[in-house]
Amino acid sequence: MNSYYAATLLVYAGVDIIACIALNLQFGISGIVNFSFIIFQAVGAYAAAVLSMPPDTANGGYQVYVGGFQLPFPLPWIGGALAGGLLAIPVGLVVLRKLRTDYQAIALLVLSVIANSVITNARPFLNGAAGIAQVPGPFSDQIDPLTQSYQLLYVGLTLPCVLLVWLVASRIVNSPYGRSLRAMRDHEVAASALGKNPVRMKMTIFIVGGIIGGLSGAILVGYIAVWAPSEWLYPETIILFAAVIVGGRANNVGAILGALLVPVGFEEVTRLIPGTIAGWVPPPNLIPAMQWVAIGLLIIGFLWFRPQGVRPEPRRVFEGSPDAEEVDRVRTA
Amino acid sequence: MDLYVAALGFGLISVSVIAIAAVGFTMQFGITNMINLSYGEVMMVSGYAAFYVNQAGVNIWVALIPGALVGAVLSFLLNRFLYAPFQRKGTNHIGMVIVSLAASLMIANLMLPIVGYYTSSYVVDQGPLLRANGLVLTTAQIAIIAVAVILMLAIHGLLRYTRLGKAMRATAANPTLARNCGIPTQRVIDVVWLITGALCGVAGVVAGMNSENFSVSSGAAYLIPIIAAAVLGGAGQPYGAMIGALIIGIVTELSAAAIAPEYKEVVAFGMLVLVMVLRPQGLLAKRGAMAAAG
Amino acid sequence: MSARPDEPMLVARDVHRHFEGMRAVDGVSIDVPRGKITGLIGPNGAGKSTFLAVLAGTLPASAGTITFEGQDISRLPTYHRARRGLVRTFQLPSEFSQLTVLENLLVAAPDNRGDSLLGALLGKRYWGDDELRLVDQARSLLKRFGMTAKESDYAGTMSGGQKRLIEIMRALMLRPRCLLLDEPMSGVHPRIVDEIKYYLQSLRADGLTILMVEHELHLVEQLCDSVVVMAQGKVIGSGTMAALRRQQEIVDAYLVG
Repeated sequence: MNSYYAATLLVYAGVDIIACIALNLQFGISGIVNFSFIIFQAVGAYAAAVLSMPPDTANGGYQVYVGGFQLPFPLPWIGGALAGGLLAIPVGLVVLRKLRTDYQAIALLVLSVIANSVITNARPFLNGAAGIAQVPGPFSDQIDPLTQSYQLLYVGLTLPCVLLVWLVASRIVNSPYGRSLRAMRDHEVAASALGKNPVRMKMTIFIVGGIIGGLSGAILVGYIAVWAPSEWLYPETIILFAAVIVGGRANNVGAILGALLVPVGFEEVTRLIPGTIAGWVPPPNLIPAMQWVAIGLLIIGFLWFRPQGVRPEPRRVFEGSPDAEEVDRVRTA
Repeated sequence: MDLYVAALGFGLISVSVIAIAAVGFTMQFGITNMINLSYGEVMMVSGYAAFYVNQAGVNIWVALIPGALVGAVLSFLLNRFLYAPFQRKGTNHIGMVIVSLAASLMIANLMLPIVGYYTSSYVVDQGPLLRANGLVLTTAQIAIIAVAVILMLAIHGLLRYTRLGKAMRATAANPTLARNCGIPTQRVIDVVWLITGALCGVAGVVAGMNSENFSVSSGAAYLIPIIAAAVLGGAGQPYGAMIGALIIGIVTELSAAAIAPEYKEVVAFGMLVLVMVLRPQGLLAKRGAMAAAG
Repeated sequence: MSARPDEPMLVARDVHRHFEGMRAVDGVSIDVPRGKITGLIGPNGAGKSTFLAVLAGTLPASAGTITFEGQDISRLPTYHRARRGLVRTFQLPSEFSQLTVLENLLVAAPDNRGDSLLGALLGKRYWGDDELRLVDQARSLLKRFGMTAKESDYAGTMSGGQKRLIEIMRALMLRPRCLLLDEPMSGVHPRIVDEIKYYLQSLRADGLTILMVEHELHLVEQLCDSVVVMAQGKVIGSGTMAALRRQQEIVDAYLVG
C-alpha cells in the first residue's frame, strides 16, 4: 500500500466519519429524518471553495462563480462549517416547524433533488454542471499538493477535526440534553408534556448537524480540489443513512463503524474487484451501479435482520444501580 | 400571449400525465398506508418495457398494454415481497419510507446495466395538428389527454359503482373494521397494487411520449410533481389527486413559460412545500389513514 | 403571578374542540379548585380525554379560554404549560421506550443544567452535580412505587401497569402545581393502586391540585373531593358524588349503584 493511497483512505474516512456523526445526531438521536443531508456537505464544500479560490477571472476565467476571496486556512474550513449551519436555518424553519414527520422526510428529499437541479442550471453562481475546479487546499501555496508531505499534512489537519467533532457529539449525546433529545425522538408529545420544546431542540440539532456536515464538505473539497453537482446527488444521503443504520443508530461508535463499513468499506472492497473476471470484461459502469444495488440490499437487509445496527444504542446504567440478582436475594430473605 | 396559450396546451398534457400517475400513487397511500418512493422507478421500467416493444415495430399506443402489465406486476411483487412483510413486522412509517427509497435505488441501478446510460425515445407518429382558440396540439397529444380522461372515469366508476371499489374504500377508511365485515382485505390490497401498478405503468409510457427522451434517471424526476399533486389534493384521495394534478400541471407549465423551462421542478417543489405548510391535509381532507400517519 | 388562594387553580370557559366535523368538546366550562382532587367522569366517548388534552395544550382548542393560576394560557404550547406547572399524563402508554426507567424519570426533571446545548457542551463537570441530585430524587420515587429493581430496564419492556407508574412518577419529577391524570389507575396492580392513592392524597395535603379522569367509580368516591360529569362533549353535572347521585338524570345517564 503506497502512502498516497493510505492518505486518501484516511482523509475519506475522516470526512465520512464526520458526516455520519452529524447525521446520527440528527437522525439517530433526535429522530429528524434528514433526507437532504448531502446539501449541507455540499454547501460547506462550495463555501470553502469560493472562500479559498482566487476570483473567477483567474486561470483564464474558464469558470464562473461567486466569491473568490483567496482566504488562508483555516478560514475556508470555518466558512464551510458556518455555511452548513446557516443553510440549516431557513430549511429548518420551514420544514421542522410546520410539517409532520413523513412530510418532513419527503420535503427534505425533494429539496436536495431541487437544489442540485438549481445549482446545475444557474451557471454564473457556482459554475453550473461543470462545477468548480482547481480548489486550493490549505497551505497548498507553501507545500506542493502533489508531494507526500502534503498528504501527511492533510491527514494531520483532518484528524483533529474528527476528534473535535467526536468530542462535541459525545458531549451532546451523553448529557441530559442528549437524553431529552432521545426522549423527544421516542415520543415527541410526551416530551413536550414534560416541558421540552421539540421545535427548538430539533432546530438546534439541525443547525449543529448542518455545521458539522458543512465542515465535512470543506475538508473534502480541499483534498479533491473539485466540486460539482454530480458529487452531491440525493443518493449520497442514502449512503450515509445506510452507514448509520448498519453501524448502529444513536451512538457515535456506531456512526464511526458505519462510516468505516459502508462508504469507506464499500469503495475499498470494490477496488479489489479485478478488471476481468474469467475473461469477461465488465462494462465500465457496472461496478458503481452494482455498488448502489448492494447499498440498497444492505439497508433492507439490516432493517429486516438487525435494525439496531452492528453496535446498538447502548443502555445507560447509572452508578449504584441495583444488581438484579441482589434485589431478588433481598426479596426471598 | 400566444406563449401562454401554448403553455396552457402543454399544461393540459402535463395534467394528464401527472393525473394518471398521481391517482395511482395516492391510492397506494390511501389503501395500504405506503408512501411508495419507488413509484417513479416503476414508471421508468414500464416506460422501457414499452420502448422495447416499440422498437420491435409495435405502435406505441399498443405498447401501452405491456407497459401497464409490467407496471402492475412489478408493483404487485414490490408490495408482496418487500413492503407487506416489513409492514407486518411492525416497521414504523419512516422505516417504510426508507425501505421504499432503498428499493428505488436498487431498481434504478439494476436497470442501468440493462438499458444503458443513454437516453431513449419512442417512435411516435404525432399526427396532424389541431387548433382551437389559439391552442395548438398534435393528435398524439390529444390522445394522451383522452387516455387520461378515460382512466379517470374508469377509476371513478370503479370506486363508486363496483363492489371492489366499495371494498377498497372500506379498507382505506378502516382496515380492521373492513376485515371484520367480511371483506378479504388481503386480496383487496393485492388488487389495489395491481390496478395502481397498471396506472403507474401507463403513466410511465405516457410520460415518455410527452418528453423528447427519457432515461433511467427520469424515474426520480417524475416523482416530484406526482407527490406535489397527491399532497395538494389530500393524501389518499384519488379525486384530490386529479384536482392536484390539474393545478400542478397548469401552474408548472405556465411558470415554465414565464420564467424558464428548467425551473419547472422548482415550481412544483415550491407548491409542494406551500401546501405542506399551509394546508397539510390537502384540498380534500381524509379521515383515518391520514391521521394515523406521521 | 398566581391567583388568590380561594380562586380556582384552573378555569375553562366555553371550551370547544371540533375536528373533522366531530364536536368532541362542545362548550365545556369548569373550575378546578385549588388543592383538591377533582374527578372527571362520564361514559366512553364523552370527550373527557380530549378535554384533558385541550387543557394541557396537546390539542388546540377550537374556541374558549383556559386560565391557569389567573393567567390566560389558551395560546401557550404544551411545553410552556408544563413548565408553568400544569402537567398531564396520557391514557395510552407514552413511555420513552428506548430509555431506561430511570432515564424516563430523569428526562422530566426541569432543573438540570445539562439540559441545553450549552450545558451539554460544557461537559460533565458542569452538570454532574445536578445529575447526581436528580438521580437520588428519581430513585426515591422509584423506591416509593416499588420499581427500584427495574431502574435500568428499558421502559418499553415494562408491563402496562408499570408504564402507568412510570408516567405518574415522571409527572411528579416535574413538581407540578396541577396534575391532569388520564385514567392513572387503569391496568395497575391493586396493591400499587393503593400506593398511588395514598401518594395522591399526600400530595393533595401538600397543596397539589389534581384533575383526574377515572372510570372506577369506587376510586372516584374514595379520592375525589368533587366530580364533573361529561357526556357527549358537554358537562351534565358537577358536585360531590353524593349530590350527583341525587340527580336522577345523572344516575340514569351514567352512575350505576
